[in-house]
Amino acid sequence: MARLSNKFFWTNPEFVRHRRAELRPVRAITVATVVAVLCVLLGLACWSYQANLLENARRGAEAYATAAWNERLEHMQQDFARNTWLLFYRWLVGLQGVALTFWTLFSCAQSVSGERDRKTWDFQRTTRLTSAEILIGKIFGEPILIYFAVLCAAPVTLIAGLAGGLSFGSVISVFVFLAVTSLFLGLGGMWLSTLLESRTRGVGLIGALALYGLTLGAYGMRDSGLPGLAAMSPLTGIIDLIVGKSSGPFRFVPVLFGHEVPWLLMNVLLCGSFSAWLALMLVRNLKRDYPEIRPLSRWQAIACAAFLNFLIYALLSPGFGPRDAYNEVRGGWFPDAKTVAMFAVGMNGLILFLMGLATLTPQERLKVWRRKRATGQSAMFADDGLPWPWLGISAVVAYALLVWGLVAWNNTLPLDMSTLQAAAIRLLLVLVFVMRDVLFLQWCMLTRLRQPVVKGVLFLGLYYAAATVMTVLASVSSEDAGRWMLALLTPVGVFDPKVTGLAFPVATYVGLILQMVVISAVIVAVDNRLRRPLQSGAAA
Amino acid sequence: MCPGRRFHAYKPVIELAALRKEYDNVLAVDDLNLNIPQGEIFGLIGPNGAGKTTTIRMACGLLAPTLGRAMIAGVDVAQDPEKAQQHIGYLSDFFAVYEDLKVWEYLDYFAHAYKMPEADIPARVTEVISQVNLDVKRDAMIRGLSRGMKQRLGIARAIIHRPKVMLLDEPASGLDPKARLELRNLLLSLRDQGATILISSHILTELEGFCTSIGIMEKGRMVRSGSIAEVTAAAATTRLVRMTWAGDSLAMAQEKLRSDARVSEVNLAAGVGTFRFSGAEEDLAPVLASLVAANLQLTSFGEVKQTVEELYMKLSTHEVM
Repeated sequence: MARLSNKFFWTNPEFVRHRRAELRPVRAITVATVVAVLCVLLGLACWSYQANLLENARRGAEAYATAAWNERLEHMQQDFARNTWLLFYRWLVGLQGVALTFWTLFSCAQSVSGERDRKTWDFQRTTRLTSAEILIGKIFGEPILIYFAVLCAAPVTLIAGLAGGLSFGSVISVFVFLAVTSLFLGLGGMWLSTLLESRTRGVGLIGALALYGLTLGAYGMRDSGLPGLAAMSPLTGIIDLIVGKSSGPFRFVPVLFGHEVPWLLMNVLLCGSFSAWLALMLVRNLKRDYPEIRPLSRWQAIACAAFLNFLIYALLSPGFGPRDAYNEVRGGWFPDAKTVAMFAVGMNGLILFLMGLATLTPQERLKVWRRKRATGQSAMFADDGLPWPWLGISAVVAYALLVWGLVAWNNTLPLDMSTLQAAAIRLLLVLVFVMRDVLFLQWCMLTRLRQPVVKGVLFLGLYYAAATVMTVLASVSSEDAGRWMLALLTPVGVFDPKVTGLAFPVATYVGLILQMVVISAVIVAVDNRLRRPLQSGAAA
Repeated sequence: MCPGRRFHAYKPVIELAALRKEYDNVLAVDDLNLNIPQGEIFGLIGPNGAGKTTTIRMACGLLAPTLGRAMIAGVDVAQDPEKAQQHIGYLSDFFAVYEDLKVWEYLDYFAHAYKMPEADIPARVTEVISQVNLDVKRDAMIRGLSRGMKQRLGIARAIIHRPKVMLLDEPASGLDPKARLELRNLLLSLRDQGATILISSHILTELEGFCTSIGIMEKGRMVRSGSIAEVTAAAATTRLVRMTWAGDSLAMAQEKLRSDARVSEVNLAAGVGTFRFSGAEEDLAPVLASLVAANLQLTSFGEVKQTVEELYMKLSTHEVM
């Protein structure tokens, strides 16, 4: 019976704790009153604005007394109430959308780190609550105040939308859109919070701000080669769904495998699937001690890489691009299969790096793996081993999906063999550089650096900045020297669009061999670190 | 006989097998083996950095061991943490609480979080509030409580679900003497109810006369463990005996004692003296009888028991202070 009582989120102890703490009667009444007052003020402002427009139209009709003015005045008088309600509805939804998503993200971004800060986290971890129960309790409990405020405003919003001439379905779809987006942002915030120790809470808030900026910025993807990504932005829900910018010749619509789908469906699919990945990572790690956190298992990381690759081809809109004066599509992001392949390889650089980060092995586990491997008890592909073999598998899966994706789009984007060959070499080179960087981060984790991953990423940033400077300096003497430097030190040279098939410059292949040598050196360095003898005595 | 002993079933309730923890290049706990039977109060003593906290955190599932296994009431903590938590009451050296809840709400939250039967919770909350003397503050906000009250509330949280095992990491640090006494009494009453207690401390007087067994940890290793009598016996090669007497019988007493081969380090002054005896406790009886037979007017005679602190000082190598 006790387990059954935790089944629903409103009986979840963690949710109940937040409800009790943050929604005491006095505070709830205050919030409801503030919402009511805001609604009244907003309603009056909208009425005043519409009345002002009507007054201007009336003056215009009196002054000019033309048929056009009279007709306009008549329309405005007829639609006065509807337009006022519609304007009121848009403001209500806009304000609620921003407040809901922002508040949810930031309250969840402090959920776990805040508990660590207050030192209550250990006590929660020693209860019988499972990670999933803690997750549900926090995701619905942390932003409870804004949920309550939105709930208070919901009847007014619904009435305003219906009175404004919108269908019940479209009003509800906006609510669903914002709810799904805020759930996704809440999970994102909570994941950030899990990754942060109490002393780095400030960094978490900056990260949350960046995540919010990123999701808002996704709105700009509407007119890109992957328009569906805009469905992750709350702005799409606020603007496109209620202002109606999804109609007319310049309409923006998301596509799934080349078929137009509603924004709401795309939002539910994207935010839902990303939320599922975030929930998986949280459930795996929420009750773990901080140094034990590993976002995904190795196979989950490969599945995640495959999912992200799959998204590229599913959301692709090859015919979508800037339109000229005659409303004709010209060029766009993906004019041919070669560009799609290069984009996919480039994206895989990022995806593989993120997968590498997600599967870095904690020092302690890696040491145990090495000892077991020395006695033949553990394999190279063990979950606690080095991440590089798994990056290799991820790259193979990515290449298989690339072939599948390009073959699937063959009718729209004709494919030739040389594209696949060039993509294979490009992906191999990207993989080698990513392996090197991820192994370097793994080595950093074995040092005594504080925040080794963050510092390792900063060192990599410095390395690429230095490589850029050296390339520029080399280019001063000759263009060839610049190209050599670029190919030896970075994977950027491999993205030369003029190259077809396997005909890459020699420098590319030399760079490949050089990086493999570096990888071997880093593996040896990692092994040397793992061999270091232990000192007795705790440092709890 | 210790009252807690009557609950002994000689089946370990806390079982740590080859437990090991490595941090970076430091071996915090080195293949620790420990079995604590039901009803025992086991004191884990050692200097700061000896590995006590790490051991307790591994035992309650907060920290994953590098190698080895921790079993609580027969449940593997790593394999089935939620089930193991049902049996564990954990108390650390800090008493962090949710300041924005009322006292009863705080305990009600943890009772639900430990998945106690719904119907039992209100009565249990009331019972525990009463047990830690917070009845008058039942409906008060936690932020308004004094530090001592918050600490008592923390203890109430740890016992709300009637745990079989209490894992206490320096629980008395920061407590005033009265609160320490209250904590000690509360733990003794829990022990009397059948709970098994593992308590760590580096303040040895805190554990004196309270623990039924002790373990001395240093540099991640268990230097010695067992009942206090066992550890004392292992540490002591001779017994220190103190006696007092009336009258002027110093020379006679010295003569009698030195005639016994098991007696050494005789140090007698007027009316009082000590000597070392190498033998079992019951072997002291003939020595006492011979002194009485020689008309020495003894007013007291007995072994000077070693304190936990003395034991620790004797056994410890003091390498991690």
